[in-house]
Amino acid sequence: MWRGLWTLAAQAARGPRRLCTRRSSGAPAPGSGATIFALSSGQGRCGIAVIRTSGPASGHALRILTAPRDLPLARHASLRLLSDPRSGEPLDRALVLWFPGPQSFTGEDCVEFHVHGGPAVVSGVLQALGSVPGLRPAEAGEFTRRAFANGKLNLTEVEGLADLIHAETEAQRRQALRQLDGELGHLCRGWAETLTKALAHVEAYIDFGEDDNLEEGVLEQADIEVRALQVALGAHLRDARRGQRLRSGVHVVVTGPPNAGKSSLVNLLSRKPVSIVSPEPGTTRDVLETPVDLAGFPVLLSDTAGLEQADLILAMLDASDLASPSSCNFLATVVASVGAQSPSDSSQRLLLVLNKSDLLSPEGPGPGPDLPPHLLLSCLTGEGLDGLLEALRKELAAVCGDPSTDPPLLTRARHQHHLQGCLDALGHYKQSKDLALAAEALRVARGHLTRLTGGGGTEEILDIIFQDFCVGK
Amino acid sequence: MFYFRGCGRWVAVSFTKQQFPLARLSSDSAAPRTPHFDVIVIGGGHAGTEAATAAARCGSRTLLLTHRVDTIGQMSCNPSFGGIGKGHLMREVDALDGLCSRICDQSGVHYKVLNRRKGPAVWGLRAQIDRKLYKQNMQKEILNTPLLTVQEGAVEDLILTEPEPEHTGKCRVSGVVLVDGSTVYAESVILTTGTFLRGMIVIGLETHPAGRLGDQPSIGLAQTLEKLGFVVGRLKTGTPPRIAKESINFSILNKHIPDNPSIPFSFTNETVWIKPEDQLPCYLTHTNPRVDEIVLKNLHLNSHVKETTRGPRYCPSIESKVLRFPNRLHQVWLEPEGMDSDLIYPQGLSMTLPAELQEKMITCIRGLEKAKVIQPGYGVQYDYLDPRQITPSLETHLVQRLFFAGQINGTTGYEEAAAQGVIAGINASLRVSRKPPFVVSRTEGYIGVLIDDLTTLGTSEPYRMFTSRVEFRLSLRPDNADSRLTLRGYKDAGCVSQQRYERACWMKSSLEEGISVLKSIEFLSSKWKKLIPEASISTSRSLPVRALDVLKYEEVDMDSLAKAVPEPLKKYTKCRELAERLKIEEIKGVQQDEALQLPKDLDYLTIRDVSLSHEVREKLHFSRPQTIGAASRIPGVTPAAIINLLRFVKTTQRRQSAMNESSKTDQYLCDADRLQEREL
Repeated sequence: MWRGLWTLAAQAARGPRRLCTRRSSGAPAPGSGATIFALSSGQGRCGIAVIRTSGPASGHALRILTAPRDLPLARHASLRLLSDPRSGEPLDRALVLWFPGPQSFTGEDCVEFHVHGGPAVVSGVLQALGSVPGLRPAEAGEFTRRAFANGKLNLTEVEGLADLIHAETEAQRRQALRQLDGELGHLCRGWAETLTKALAHVEAYIDFGEDDNLEEGVLEQADIEVRALQVALGAHLRDARRGQRLRSGVHVVVTGPPNAGKSSLVNLLSRKPVSIVSPEPGTTRDVLETPVDLAGFPVLLSDTAGLEQADLILAMLDASDLASPSSCNFLATVVASVGAQSPSDSSQRLLLVLNKSDLLSPEGPGPGPDLPPHLLLSCLTGEGLDGLLEALRKELAAVCGDPSTDPPLLTRARHQHHLQGCLDALGHYKQSKDLALAAEALRVARGHLTRLTGGGGTEEILDIIFQDFCVGK
Repeated sequence: MFYFRGCGRWVAVSFTKQQFPLARLSSDSAAPRTPHFDVIVIGGGHAGTEAATAAARCGSRTLLLTHRVDTIGQMSCNPSFGGIGKGHLMREVDALDGLCSRICDQSGVHYKVLNRRKGPAVWGLRAQIDRKLYKQNMQKEILNTPLLTVQEGAVEDLILTEPEPEHTGKCRVSGVVLVDGSTVYAESVILTTGTFLRGMIVIGLETHPAGRLGDQPSIGLAQTLEKLGFVVGRLKTGTPPRIAKESINFSILNKHIPDNPSIPFSFTNETVWIKPEDQLPCYLTHTNPRVDEIVLKNLHLNSHVKETTRGPRYCPSIESKVLRFPNRLHQVWLEPEGMDSDLIYPQGLSMTLPAELQEKMITCIRGLEKAKVIQPGYGVQYDYLDPRQITPSLETHLVQRLFFAGQINGTTGYEEAAAQGVIAGINASLRVSRKPPFVVSRTEGYIGVLIDDLTTLGTSEPYRMFTSRVEFRLSLRPDNADSRLTLRGYKDAGCVSQQRYERACWMKSSLEEGISVLKSIEFLSSKWKKLIPEASISTSRSLPVRALDVLKYEEVDMDSLAKAVPEPLKKYTKCRELAERLKIEEIKGVQQDEALQLPKDLDYLTIRDVSLSHEVREKLHFSRPQTIGAASRIPGVTPAAIINLLRFVKTTQRRQSAMNESSKTDQYLCDADRLQEREL
């Protein structure tokens, strides 16, 4: 019986693939052979997010993300554990649907992942897909275009299509605008400008070098600029911590002198008794990390882990006990040392929380004028919790990049894809004595950057050439 | 399709207006007295000669109308052909059996391949050409082309009739009216009038109407076109003065000798007519601050420079060089105008100063201290027609069967003109025989880039070909223009001779065979190192290496490979071109499909059921993109608009069945390519 079922499933999975082979040898299949992926549901937090792929490598991608399981039954929802193919790290338990071409939305092999809608999960799955060879983020309207070209859309379906594409494009335009306002957009535009100029100079050398008098050192200058760009891009790509944090959780460590109320805060934030709370100092001894969702960010909360692991430190003091030696010592060592780091390279952030504010007399003096910026909180009464949560949200946003305002998730995957592509292409520059090949590497690299920044026509190149050189006879 | 060649020289060549080859008057003509041709080409410049001969090669009875037969094939500016990008165009024109490359090889006096050390994709075939020889050879060719009649006459007006309902356009051209009032009828008309539409010559503050020094402009025709509703723009260009050769002191100047051996322009030539040792040298000199001073002091006498009409940025007059890049020494190449010419062409000294100041400036320059100016430099301002008004087959949207080619479309350069001429000639002829148009895509050739740029983006300065405009530069090389275009030209256009077609087929199959043989030969790297010691083959890991991969080393060519492995490689070194091309073929290009086609007769302004913004409609109407790829390159056309267009294509699919057939073929080919890639 089992065997029978299995054979049935295998037939179902294999049958359409045979069809698919027949199609590729005969009927038209549009677009490049690449497999594309994109978040198909809206941006932002939602219950379920749908991520879609289309193209010949869809099945492969599905198998890789759901390894060691085989392809599910065609057009049936199946529950699968998705994990990152690079690290093996679990991403989400999700519903997956396998639509072998041509019976799919685009007519190509398609996969839908219905994942839990948190930004961390979505970002994780998108990045995991991006790491599968042959897959790349979809361009605006690309799914629809493929569907249309494969004859999968009848006229009534096409009716609504323009609106759909418009919405898709509009969202991407807004995203692009938003992203171009940010720091990353600024960086990309700068890089694209440098690269365009370097390319223009190489192109000038090709189109005019010989019997026009270009200045000396045109190529050398381009070489220097390309090398500097490689270094900058490499450094940027290595700094992928933000993305990792969003995927695996931000390490938030609550620290402070004994009995400042660390465990109470952990319990308050996780809304369940994780630590054993006791008025006796030193009750908490075992390392406990609690995964919690704070203002939409995945957080691993701990009141015992070492400070070196922490992305964000919640430093706690007893507001009624600030003068004690342990409090003073804590302020002088932990708070002062983290605070001393310059904000630009602060890999660690710190929030100073004064607990037990309920013990302060309302008309008495404040906690002391010499203290660094701090928040008042009473774990007992809950007073000050809202302020703390808001402060946490801001800090977490800074640590992860806020997915709702910073580079959006979809474009983040695109970003990484194109920046890496740019860097790879730059690696091919200079390997060849053939200047046309070297220029081709720069063209490919520029193509990747201009996907992020817009522009990229040859007219820009010619503008630079004629602006910088006196060419022509 | 050259079988007309041998079948007798019945074509009359007429030099007077009323004389026609009576024997071949159209038999179905309604007006029996009126001559009737398949194709009329107006203009005998570089576009006109190519257009007329291409149409004739395609089998059309063709009439070439020109002001003066003795100016056919005139090189009115620089005495050279080719260069970087332009050499590519010439190879493509030649691949379609065009004239200019073959005529150049009979007339070249100084051959030089530019960019020799920058990779074969950007080699620039170039030569100084003897003006007189070129003109003679061109006229000989033109006057002996079967099916082609040449007649002197100035065209004043077009004869227009009711449009064909199955095409867009408000009317259809059916002939021309000459200045003397006589009429000639034709199925298609090609305009290649260059700078003659309201041409105006400028020297200093003087201006006078002329298409070229000494030639009348075309004004009636310009008015006709404007009345029809064509958008007209104005451009300017210039040419340097000509200097008496014996007045130049060459002995103190830098001498540049031509390449030896010369690389011919045409695929059909192994060598060129004038031997390298008999060819002429060029000389190099530079401007100096005194030249700058004369330019700056006399700007008030120079109306051409002051005006706002757009001139090219890449071929600037000495005045604009001085203004934009002051305090520099600019190069001046002294180029021969021909074997027995007394003139020297100072490349880089294009100017429009008053004549007496031109000589004053020139004598400031080293080597030219005693130079005599024989003909002053001058500027030309002329009308051009916004090229977004024509299709990729160069037919106008407004008037059916009317084609534009050359400088009239806003380009500059002999090669750009010739390239358009061939395409216009082929398509005018195909239109007569109701065959689908012959269009070269951006992925197939520089011609495709040129025409796609013009027809989708237009131009605001005289358009010149650069390799930097070409996305698929690595695969669109001068060496492989025949594999790209000759086979198509033979099958789809019928403009290629049997002989050339067979040669291209042989070359293509030899290359394929050669590559598969090179792939099949495999030795350990240590053995390769012993066989070809001069190659820097790494022997650190002893792996089998294919001969094809050994060929990638810079030091290795087919000769050294054949020496190492005589059997079976020796036979591939017998043909020089084949051996060199095998080496070059190692550079892989990129493929891209732009197969989704838009119907060419869409009326974007009035189509209903399509939600397009007015702005997008205007842009599409103006540019008439041929493919989705071209549409998406038009600034301001959104993906939503593109999907809408696709939808429209779908609804009108039945009417467009013919076109869909061809796009399907494309896709089959794409699929086949992709399958092959997968198998590799």
